[in-house]
Amino acid sequence: MLCAAAGTILLVRCAPGFFSDDREMDAKYAMAAQAEISAQSESQGSIVRIAMREVESWAKGDFGESRQYGVPVAGLVGARMSTSATLLMRGILCGWLFAIVAALPISCLRKGGSLLGLPFTILLSVPTAAMATACILADAGGPVLVLSLLIAAREFKFLRSLLEGAWRSSHLLQGRAQGLTAWALVRLHILPNAAPQLRTLATLSIVTALGALVPIEVIFNVPGVGQLAWSAVMNRDLPVLVAVSLLMASVVGLAGMLSSSEFTLEAA
Amino acid sequence: MKRVYSILLAVLLVAAAATLLWSRYDYAYQDRDAILTPSTAQHAAGTDELGRDRMVRVAAALVIGFAGSAAAAAVTIMIAAGFGLLAAFSSKTLAAILLFVSDVFLSVPWLFLLMMARSLLPLTASPLVTAVTTFLVLAALGWPACSRAIYRGAVELRNAEWMIHAHACGLMTRQRICLQLVPHLRPLLLPQFLICVPAFVVAEANLGALGLGVGEPMPSWGAMLLELDNSALLARSHWVYLPIALLVLVLLLLESFTSEMETHA
Repeated sequence: MLCAAAGTILLVRCAPGFFSDDREMDAKYAMAAQAEISAQSESQGSIVRIAMREVESWAKGDFGESRQYGVPVAGLVGARMSTSATLLMRGILCGWLFAIVAALPISCLRKGGSLLGLPFTILLSVPTAAMATACILADAGGPVLVLSLLIAAREFKFLRSLLEGAWRSSHLLQGRAQGLTAWALVRLHILPNAAPQLRTLATLSIVTALGALVPIEVIFNVPGVGQLAWSAVMNRDLPVLVAVSLLMASVVGLAGMLSSSEFTLEAA
Repeated sequence: MKRVYSILLAVLLVAAAATLLWSRYDYAYQDRDAILTPSTAQHAAGTDELGRDRMVRVAAALVIGFAGSAAAAAVTIMIAAGFGLLAAFSSKTLAAILLFVSDVFLSVPWLFLLMMARSLLPLTASPLVTAVTTFLVLAALGWPACSRAIYRGAVELRNAEWMIHAHACGLMTRQRICLQLVPHLRPLLLPQFLICVPAFVVAEANLGALGLGVGEPMPSWGAMLLELDNSALLARSHWVYLPIALLVLVLLLLESFTSEMETHA
């Protein structure tokens, strides 16, 4: 997380447009005022100073003050976290439901699987922003549907190959020969055996969903962390950017830890 | 099927290049007498709100998007290969540091990093600079996922018996990498490159739709998606859906081609 914060500060500070200020483009400011704005930004813009200011704000617990809104960042991010968390949770759950419901029957087919999986291939080819725009144009669905479809399209491919391998395994063939129903095979053999891989895939879904959060929230005008991040990026709001980077890094780190602990347990 | 997909892609690219070469209009030319027109003899796919020919702009977006993404994918694979090989052939400590760096990059969602890096350009950057920067940023941030796969492949090859034999015969590390390892890594590098191309096309489109892609008047998929927000335009002509339809078709062909390559590999 610290590395992610340091990387964000470095990335933002070293970007060629860091010292650009919208006020410099504004004709109402005189040349002298514009020069003063530039000098002020440059005097406050050394990496060490920025990092120190950030650390001070973390110690206070407010993560500094937003440049665009003029309020503490912690309050700003905190207020939007529940909206994004709800959207993420619903999107991931529905996406997995779509993917499992489609992958289970398709994976046990000997022929025609590719044709039935075509809608997911098409969905995989549609950028998130385009999917969201299409939903708005059709006046159907919303952010949860777009996120679900994105997750379903990504996970269907992996789930299908995972389940296809499972259906072909020799112990399942034995089970089928002994007259076990398809549902019993899925419940007693396939799902328990595939559970570790499924859990790892589920944690990867969080990363995919976080990436899609920004276009979805911006296009659907959802007041979440993704929209805040976009707005911070557009306004070069460094304290907000660092706080959101930290939040994203901690969520991804936690997801990674969960998936690696699964493997460790399995190995043990 | 692999051949069919590649032929279709080639046909689309050649058609786009031909449109650009033989069209009477430049992608930035504004026909002020034909604003928001539907399909006409002069403008086969109509014009946008500034009177620019939509067919030419879509063709330019296709060429720019594909060429930029392919170039960015090539750069990203080179960075990833360099990084993976360096980690595989360095001491354990250095390898751990290098892999940690790639983990840090991977710990922040990709689009978010892209958005952040792309938005920090000076406000007065020219369209060409924004286009080059967008694809450079894609290349610079896309390598960590590939470098992991390349590192694993390189470590496997490094420990292969024939590589140990080459080492015992006195070949230097540089010679082993250039003459032995890189040719054997090619089957791994090509699919990685092919995976990156559609991913970069999608990333550019998403960035553009957020207003952070290639700058106007240079056409891009993302900027064309923004046209769909204009309800007046949608009511006038169905040709406004051409960019999104073509983008989905191109991505579908790229994804299918990549899947076929993976299956055959």
